[in-house]
Amino acid sequence: MTAAADLDTILSSSPFARFLAIAAHADEHGVLATMPVRDQLVGNVMLPALHGGCVASFLEIACLLQVAHEVGTNAPARAINISVEYLRPARRETTYARAKIRRLGKRVAVVHAEAWQQDESKPVCLLQSHLRLPAGLASE
Amino acid sequence: MSDIEQRDDTATDGVGDWAGNPYASRMVEYTPYAVALGMKFVSSSAGRGEILLPWREDLVGQDGTDILAPGVLTALIDHACGLAIMAGLGFEAAPATLDLRIDHMRPAAPRASVTCSAHVYRATRTIAFLRAEAWDVSPDDPVAAAQAAFTLNRRSVK
Repeated sequence: MTAAADLDTILSSSPFARFLAIAAHADEHGVLATMPVRDQLVGNVMLPALHGGCVASFLEIACLLQVAHEVGTNAPARAINISVEYLRPARRETTYARAKIRRLGKRVAVVHAEAWQQDESKPVCLLQSHLRLPAGLASE
Repeated sequence: MSDIEQRDDTATDGVGDWAGNPYASRMVEYTPYAVALGMKFVSSSAGRGEILLPWREDLVGQDGTDILAPGVLTALIDHACGLAIMAGLGFEAAPATLDLRIDHMRPAAPRASVTCSAHVYRATRTIAFLRAEAWDVSPDDPVAAAQAAFTLNRRSVK
């Protein structure tokens, strides 16, 4: 129950995380996730801006990584629900995200995440989620 | 004058007498991310849009489950909402997602494709309110339900 989560293992076991080419590493603030830009992720060609769906997915994965990192498991949590707020268009640039666990219960975690691009003080998207924790953690 | 007053003439399903946009399917067929995920236009009418997302191996959330990642559904739902708006207002509405809330009631079945239907249940001059549901087998047994608000640019629209 205390084994460290391996972020690379978690990411490489998710085809969709690989599709989005998400990378992550842990530092003293928690997990920093990165999503490189590519043309396929564009949702608005005119602006241009990344699709809101891919930014939200990126934040969902950032939440899963932070939970895995703090709980110390490679077993994935599962989203019960999410609530996303779009603050500004996400430009065709590398996107970063961090998530913060606001409450870690026995079965459910409340996790907030935000994504930004060049300026961390200007988030492009916020996400709140309830995650069902993997079975077997409750006894801890 | 105010947004509130505008609601009266859009009371029917939130879209009033908006004409259907015959080109709405283009927003599925030409949006790079929708194409990358393999979304298929199903149908649209004023204030309604339906999109199919065929199952694909590289869109699975977790190796060994064969279940589409929840994030894939997020994009599908967001796009179906955009389609519902543009189907009623035309492309000049330039909808942008303000917020989106999704309940994942159950995982989709392994290797199942998912369809999402979204509708505008209320619209003002500047905001559209939508509900959407996504299902794998039957609309009566949804995998996810969503509620969203989009900003609109209706300066050029009556």
